[in-house]
Amino acid sequence: MNKPLISVEKLSVNYITDTGSVKAVNNVSFEINSGEIFGLVGESGSGKSTVVQAMMRILPPPALISNGSVKINNRDILSVVDSEVLGFRWKEISIVMQSALNALNPVLSVREQICDVLKTHKGLLGTLAHNRAKELLSLVDIDRDRLNSYPHQLSGGMKQRIVIAIALAIMPPIIIMDEPTTALDVIVEREILAKIIELRKKLGFTILFITHDLNLLLDFADRLAIMKDGKILELDNVKNIQKGGRHPYTKKLIDSIPSASGARQKGLFSKPESLDFPDMPILEVQNLNKIFQSSELFKKDKLIAVNDVSFKVSQGEIVGLVGESGSGKSTIAKLVTRLIRPTSGTIYLNGENKKVSESRNVPLEYRKIVQMVFQDPFGSLNSIHTVYHHLARPLLRHRLKSENELFLYIVHLLETVGLSPGEKFAEKFPHEMSGGERQRVAIARALSLEPQIIVADEPTSMLDVSIRMDILEIFAKMRKENNLTVLFITHDLASARYLADRIIVLKDGSIIEEGASEDLIQSPIQKYTKQLVRAASPGWFHSLYKNSDNKESKNDR
Amino acid sequence: MKNKIQHSSIVTRWFAGIISNKKALAGSCIILFFVFIAIIGPFLIQSPTDFLGTPLSPPSFKHLFGTNGQGQDVFSQTISGARQTLFVGFSAGILVVLIGALIGGIAGYYGGQTDDILSLIINIFLVMPGLPLMVILASWLPPGPGTLLGVLVLTGWAWNARVIRSQMMTFRNRDFVSAAIISGEKNIRIIVVEIMPRMLSLLASSFIGASIYAIGAQVGLEFLGLGDISTVTWGTNLYWASNDLALLTESWWTFVPTGLSIAIVSFALTLINFGIDEVTNPRLISERLWRNKVPRNMITNGITPVLKKHE
Repeated sequence: MNKPLISVEKLSVNYITDTGSVKAVNNVSFEINSGEIFGLVGESGSGKSTVVQAMMRILPPPALISNGSVKINNRDILSVVDSEVLGFRWKEISIVMQSALNALNPVLSVREQICDVLKTHKGLLGTLAHNRAKELLSLVDIDRDRLNSYPHQLSGGMKQRIVIAIALAIMPPIIIMDEPTTALDVIVEREILAKIIELRKKLGFTILFITHDLNLLLDFADRLAIMKDGKILELDNVKNIQKGGRHPYTKKLIDSIPSASGARQKGLFSKPESLDFPDMPILEVQNLNKIFQSSELFKKDKLIAVNDVSFKVSQGEIVGLVGESGSGKSTIAKLVTRLIRPTSGTIYLNGENKKVSESRNVPLEYRKIVQMVFQDPFGSLNSIHTVYHHLARPLLRHRLKSENELFLYIVHLLETVGLSPGEKFAEKFPHEMSGGERQRVAIARALSLEPQIIVADEPTSMLDVSIRMDILEIFAKMRKENNLTVLFITHDLASARYLADRIIVLKDGSIIEEGASEDLIQSPIQKYTKQLVRAASPGWFHSLYKNSDNKESKNDR
Repeated sequence: MKNKIQHSSIVTRWFAGIISNKKALAGSCIILFFVFIAIIGPFLIQSPTDFLGTPLSPPSFKHLFGTNGQGQDVFSQTISGARQTLFVGFSAGILVVLIGALIGGIAGYYGGQTDDILSLIINIFLVMPGLPLMVILASWLPPGPGTLLGVLVLTGWAWNARVIRSQMMTFRNRDFVSAAIISGEKNIRIIVVEIMPRMLSLLASSFIGASIYAIGAQVGLEFLGLGDISTVTWGTNLYWASNDLALLTESWWTFVPTGLSIAIVSFALTLINFGIDEVTNPRLISERLWRNKVPRNMITNGITPVLKKHE
């Protein structure tokens, strides 16, 4: 067997803080063979990005590499002096950074950014560099005219392709991809991945792929390493991991992936026996429009965020609003919770229109009926107040509880959402809790007024995979116990399938398809919905792969 | 009881932060010292306006800082000058921040037409040339501390309002504000209880910046003779020193104590400002701390430090 291309041995990285040193990466060793796709999977805080940055030697203080070696082609990148590190970067190993939106310089054109790499590492100038830049763009399927574009003129997917083109600029044998698709929509994500695989087939480079999304890697990686708390828990080839792995954590990760195709997995979320809901909808939205206008001195910009949307939600129903970024789903959340006013249209609550559209001041009773859970638990809690404050304020404002019963009620509430002992959590500040705990507090706050409707705007997308299902379970439980109505907004069709009774698919501000969850997943009608379903199913990769094979064979002829 | 816990927390956190930060602690001690002198000092010393000894006699045991051109004791003058100068300086600082927070905060929070109108007012004050306006107003209005305070606040508030408005606009769209709105909270409570404490570092450093500006501008105006020259302040001390041709007669003791006091107060305020920066933005200290904990000779230098192997 030939020698591994990269071998990382006993790598340890410490972060030096004022309270001491924290071991972010602890004795990590792995090898990557030539031509392999090696996946490194871990949740936030697992140290996966630190490993990669240490491998490229781009990790700034307060980090300190305290032990280990990273051998690329048998040369240790950690022991060479600074000036020699440049010889490794891009020639031997290049990196595709997490978010393409930040990885590109907004004030330089695409041409300048590609040519910069060519000039620094290969000394290519003028037309030579220009021609190479053109080649690179066509490699990633971007029109050559785009060379003179600036990053803001490109879509997220295009930006990511350009970052990949830059990483390929001088054809290094190894490319590190650090969450290359995390910020992208599902369909675009799948396209980019297919492109990466296609390029790898054509050019034969080795990939180290970092992600928090195990599901993604199961389909196309060769070997996987699962990281948690700075250690590699399990390292094996994909087939063994797919079967559940040896480590319980791996099993937990595998189990927490919902699937959008095939038969419904049993045991996830309890649904009520019958799905017959009363005829009178609790919430009805009619012909809702929202146009954002930005008026500057001489120009007016119009953005139609929500375009003639109507739907009904019955008491006790969970409705999933599914769409990609820019589909208007968050705007609908803000309209329904009356954070913003619609341009036109009506919102009926319990069959009444509480003059929702006209008045600026929202009646307090509306606030009591409709509550919201936000996407980002780090932003939705105020860092200077305790959990107690967050839960007590709505109750005091609505005069629902007297000061005496308040504390007991809050403790009870916290325990309902799975934070026990409640007394302890009540006194905590947001920064003393994990993301999942914060989101539970945010849910408890929304529940504190005992509302009839909760609008949940991507409540799990900022959380680690292994706790997402637990958070969604709270909504399912509250519906069962308190007949709560939930408007569940998400980009993830698979989780909508499991939680929601009915799914509404949004695109560019309009509803394009609507139906009972299972029906919609099993037999989607619209092309876009079909794409969404396919992208969210396992085996998506093989279908794409076949397509690209066909294309290639066509080109050969 | 519960309320007490939350209420003290942010204050105690801040207090602990200031105490543990050397720069902020040093600055605070100096300022407290001067404030103490300004309050207590005038009761303990001879009258600063009495004729006490030979004019322009150099420092001696009788007159620690010497005497000025009118034969008045410079030590007494320096101490009693602190009172009005610091009072006007800090009051102007507080007023500038209050007005800035009120107008900037309302403009940033409500947006729309309210913002248009308030921004227009802020912008008008911003484009007015501050220095000439200050000189003209100070010479036109009856001289005195009230006039000085008014002039300083009038020419100084707009910039703060602008900064606070921008900060408010970013907070306005944060989720925790939306969450407070959805829970039915009143706007005024959201501004005061939810947002303003988050801006504490901005407000505090605005206050300090405004105070430094107010002390400097005030001394400048008085030096030009635009204050009430019958009162004893640091500015009038300098005015008289200049009038008595202190530089020509080489009587340095008539202006150095006052000048030094002004410099030390500004310096101490700047130290506090640095301290606030470090307390609220721990990233600023983490690298220095890192350097202290990991000696330079133990690592190979570079963007990524690697611990040298002990072989």
